Amino acid sequence: MPILQIKDVTKVYEGKVTHRALNQLSFDVEEGEFLAVMGPSGSGKTTLLNIISTIDEPTSGEIIVDGMNPHMLNATELAYFRRRQLGFVFQDFNLLHMLTVEENIVLPLTLDQQPLEVIEERLASIVEKLDLNSFLHKRPNEISGGQAQRTAIGRALIHNPSLILADEPTGNLDSNSSRDVLELLTKVNQDKQTTIVMVTHDPIAASYCDRVLFIKDGEFFNEIYKDDRRQMFFQRILNVLSLLGGGQVGDLSTIRLP
Amino acid sequence: MASFFSVAVFFIYSMLMFHPDIERGILGEVSLIGMVGAEVVLVLFTLFFLYYSMSAFLEARSHEFAILLHLGMERRQMNKLVFLETMIIGSASIIVGIIFGFSFSKFFFMIVREILHLDKLPLYVSWQPFLLTIGVFTSAFVVISFISVYFTRERKLRDLIKESAYLNSDSTYSKKRAVYGIALILSAYVLAFVVSNTSLIGLSLLIPLSAAFGTYYFFSDTVPCFIDKARGKREYHWQRYRLLSLAEQTHIMKDNVKMFFVVTMVSTMAFLSVGVLATMSSYTTQYDRLNPLGLVYKGDVDNPYERNHINSLRIQLEEKGLSYHLSRFVVVKQTSSFTNNEVEVFRESDMNVLLSSFSYPLLDLSSGQAVFIPYSEESLKKLKNKVVHTVLEENAIPLTIDSVYPKIVFPGSIVSVNSIVISDEDFARLIKPIADQDVLQPTYHLFTFYIPQWIESKDIGQDIDELTASQSIEKKGKFSPYYFENAGLNYSYILATYSLFTLVGVLVASVFLLAAGSFVYFKLHASLEREKRKFDVLKRMGLTDTELKKLVNRHLFPQFFLPWGVAMMHSAFAFIMVQGILKDIANISIVKEVFFAFGFFVLIQVIYFYLIRWRYISHIRS
Repeated sequence: MPILQIKDVTKVYEGKVTHRALNQLSFDVEEGEFLAVMGPSGSGKTTLLNIISTIDEPTSGEIIVDGMNPHMLNATELAYFRRRQLGFVFQDFNLLHMLTVEENIVLPLTLDQQPLEVIEERLASIVEKLDLNSFLHKRPNEISGGQAQRTAIGRALIHNPSLILADEPTGNLDSNSSRDVLELLTKVNQDKQTTIVMVTHDPIAASYCDRVLFIKDGEFFNEIYKDDRRQMFFQRILNVLSLLGGGQVGDLSTIRLP
Repeated sequence: MASFFSVAVFFIYSMLMFHPDIERGILGEVSLIGMVGAEVVLVLFTLFFLYYSMSAFLEARSHEFAILLHLGMERRQMNKLVFLETMIIGSASIIVGIIFGFSFSKFFFMIVREILHLDKLPLYVSWQPFLLTIGVFTSAFVVISFISVYFTRERKLRDLIKESAYLNSDSTYSKKRAVYGIALILSAYVLAFVVSNTSLIGLSLLIPLSAAFGTYYFFSDTVPCFIDKARGKREYHWQRYRLLSLAEQTHIMKDNVKMFFVVTMVSTMAFLSVGVLATMSSYTTQYDRLNPLGLVYKGDVDNPYERNHINSLRIQLEEKGLSYHLSRFVVVKQTSSFTNNEVEVFRESDMNVLLSSFSYPLLDLSSGQAVFIPYSEESLKKLKNKVVHTVLEENAIPLTIDSVYPKIVFPGSIVSVNSIVISDEDFARLIKPIADQDVLQPTYHLFTFYIPQWIESKDIGQDIDELTASQSIEKKGKFSPYYFENAGLNYSYILATYSLFTLVGVLVASVFLLAAGSFVYFKLHASLEREKRKFDVLKRMGLTDTELKKLVNRHLFPQFFLPWGVAMMHSAFAFIMVQGILKDIANISIVKEVFFAFGFFVLIQVIYFYLIRWRYISHIRS
């Protein structure tokens, strides 16, 4: 059973210039799947992510997360929904600077008023899994980008969400940290069967996923599934991307080979 | 906004200061000095305030400047830009302030006229206040823009572009200073008590000093220490939004120590000035009760001027058409065996003449019986249940003093602490004068004029006052054979000083209060972008609306009420001290007034808090 269903979602931004960011987009995400969404700038990736994360509302169409439509909930229920069902990883980490790494991780649980024993237990398991022990009591401005993103992933995972939304998680990282973070996400996905939807520009990042979905100008363009070999998968992603760009490769970000 | 307001207030006051009628009025020199003082305070404060708001403003726009510099703008050009902007804001606020001030000056004059009991205070147009206001504030703005330009220079371009995401919330407090802070504040309070009880005025200089240092340490170390202790306790700390709010407090405290300190000190001063106002007003309302007599003339038995003076007073009163009751007393001093001190003895029938003019209940004393004359409200309570058996030693008259006259008849300056009334028969037996030869005025005559419209009697007897003045210069300290007191005149003096204090105090307090609130607001405004991002993250993580409000409450509450709370405490203790001193001098109680003033302030703060909270939340949501 799919955990996330996108059904004919259309998003139109009204304004001086009416802009159709998403146009009748439909796809499903199965439970435990690691999905990458790719597309050139302005293709509606971030809008899609915002709509899934219920920050934004679709103009038409519906979204079903775990069997219910979050856009039917009222504001408070929506907040509770986000708090329990969704986890977020951002490009610029968005860690809170006045909290330590440890405090940043436990923040979602404290907001949800969990008892201290539960918090500490979860924290211990997350710390072990993500190997955060060395910088647990530092502040976000004292750690490297990769460490910060690991912290952010820890924050996204600690409340066992059914869906993790990642917006360019490797966008601000160097190649080594990127690889670490992607391997971590893959591991989390495999170990815990956590569903991850990742928006990315980077074909390397996309090549770690089970499936890559391409959108262009807000419409579904293509999708490809994982190969046995990541190298092959990467090559196919590049092929689709060059197709996406209309034969020109100018739209791609620089390619770094692992 | 705030600078516009201070321009307006300044203008109104300078209008008043240059008002032709005021200069000739009863206030004269003193008021002019007072108002100039108030204006100087105002300008200094505005200067400081403008500097603060300008730097906050520039800080908020540092990113914009960074982009401009990045595009290749010269330093000189940017300085010009900042300077120009400051001047535009400055001149706009000067113009609007003057227009606003001018349109409200008539209204203000009407209030002043009521306070000062002047007949009329017409609106006038003259160039002086305009020139003064424009001159002072233009120079203030020029100074400020130079200073702000000078200080923006020191930052590096790279730091500016980075948008100061760097936030250090590591608290660097030292436990020693944390203890110091509390100890200093406490010692200031203890000192205040000591001073109020023993009236060691020299110590009182130490109090503001130690309170100021204590306050600074309190904010810089004591509070962070407490927060850190709280953060250390997980079971307390890791609950709901405490995690966030406590961490935020650490950051706020670290960032705003200086501002908190300034706000605390400023609000303490505002509280104090308002408290003094309240005291003054209570003094004027109590004046009537403490001084029931319009005119009092006291003279030796052999006073050569007595007949002349009394006659001239009567004639003057009749010319003015004021009705009066004249009572004449012969007061004899005797030694009481009970205390071995001198006691002033009044005759029953003399007393009854005065009492009948007040239409107070009359005395009916039998031989050997006596009644205390109260000299203040407090003595009234103290003497109420006292029974004294004594003998007037010189003439061996035994007396039982078993009650006190229930109303204050004479002002405190006229009667001595030991004053009694005895029956006519006993009084007739007072033949021998007091044994102690050094006592001044063993017997004296007292003339009291009870005047129902006593406020209007202020011009009566000025010739006697002048005579007293000239005589005291001639005789150099030798005791004058008479003493004259005019309650109406004294009242008008008190009223004048009071209204002066009101004017100055209201001015200063309003500007201080406004500024204290604006400091907080500016600080919030400068960090608004960052806060917005933070709340954006939190919202994504699932923060409900009510939780957001609660979080904002916790964010704003200490910023508002911590400095004000401390200021409240300080001024409360200052008032305890003032009360202690006042008790000795003026014998009035200011507790009620102070409570009223504090309540008023709390109300204003709460309103202010909600106003800013509302603005803040709407900014964050947008």
